[in-house]
Amino acid sequence: METESVKLLAAGLCMAIGSIGSALAEGFVAGKAMESMARNPKIADKLFTNMVVAIALCESTAIYSLVIALIILFAF
Amino acid sequence: MNIPTISIPAETIAQIGPIAVSNSMVTTITSSLIIIVMAFFIRRNAGVKPTRLQVAFELVLEYLLNQMTLAFGSEKRARKYFPLFMTVLLLLIVANQFTLLPFVESVVTSDGTSFFRTPTSHYSLTIGLAAFLLILGHVIAFATHPLRHIGNYVKLQLFFQMKSIKDLPMTLIEFGLGLLDIIGEFAKIISLATRLFGNMFAGGVVIAIVSGLMFATQFLVPIPFLILGILSGFVQAFVFTILSVLFISSTTNAVIQSNNQ
Repeated sequence: METESVKLLAAGLCMAIGSIGSALAEGFVAGKAMESMARNPKIADKLFTNMVVAIALCESTAIYSLVIALIILFAF
Repeated sequence: MNIPTISIPAETIAQIGPIAVSNSMVTTITSSLIIIVMAFFIRRNAGVKPTRLQVAFELVLEYLLNQMTLAFGSEKRARKYFPLFMTVLLLLIVANQFTLLPFVESVVTSDGTSFFRTPTSHYSLTIGLAAFLLILGHVIAFATHPLRHIGNYVKLQLFFQMKSIKDLPMTLIEFGLGLLDIIGEFAKIISLATRLFGNMFAGGVVIAIVSGLMFATQFLVPIPFLILGILSGFVQAFVFTILSVLFISSTTNAVIQSNNQ
């Protein structure tokens, strides 16, 4: 294979595999937060901000793979 | 299919002496000006009977102050750090949503590079901001109590607290973990900066690709992605601010709490 095509393939695979974990984690966080909001609607506001922060933390894995993909595509 | 060129570094549009003025710099300065003008405007009409804009701003302000009070432990300390984080939050909100202003993306220089660009989709701004905030936290903690702050990372005091030689492996592990925290501090800077950059950059790229896909997809198809971009712009501005509040408060609180013991 040529180098250019390997690069494109590698970047695509990097994003595809890298985002699996973060997607699962985000779904888990959001699901749990919804569950506890349904149980105790009084603290829903408080939970929501914590949920957003936690989701952003989980997202960082996918962001790292995005950075790697960008490095593969543009820096090499 | 004509996908527009995607560039990670900001394009240089002018040269003033040794400083290359890039389009993200222009946008950052413009958004700062927007904030200053808005501040004057709101300050002039502010009063006991609030105007609509004042209510909106007080909402954001109070929310951040509540979060900071929770993180810093007391409202007095939270108020001390408040202006810094409010500035960061306002700058990021305005900067993230800057390209939503109509026609700003159509302003181009003579050789075709656009004059404005979302400044947070340029890595220098985010890494600069994150490094400044987190290093500031360390400087404040170091100034408060130098020995304790170093002792939080290089945990030599554990060796003096050992009761018998059997504790040595556990102590060595904790000492090593303390050293690893130093690397963790650098990882915090990088992950904080990259999160904001990645989200804003990816949002821009998705819109550019979708609208460049076909002639028919230029008009209505990018709208859902634009809405998603607006949402992630606000969320990421909040997340960046709140995470930096948490990081700084944890570094500064660690020194103060061990002071009380």
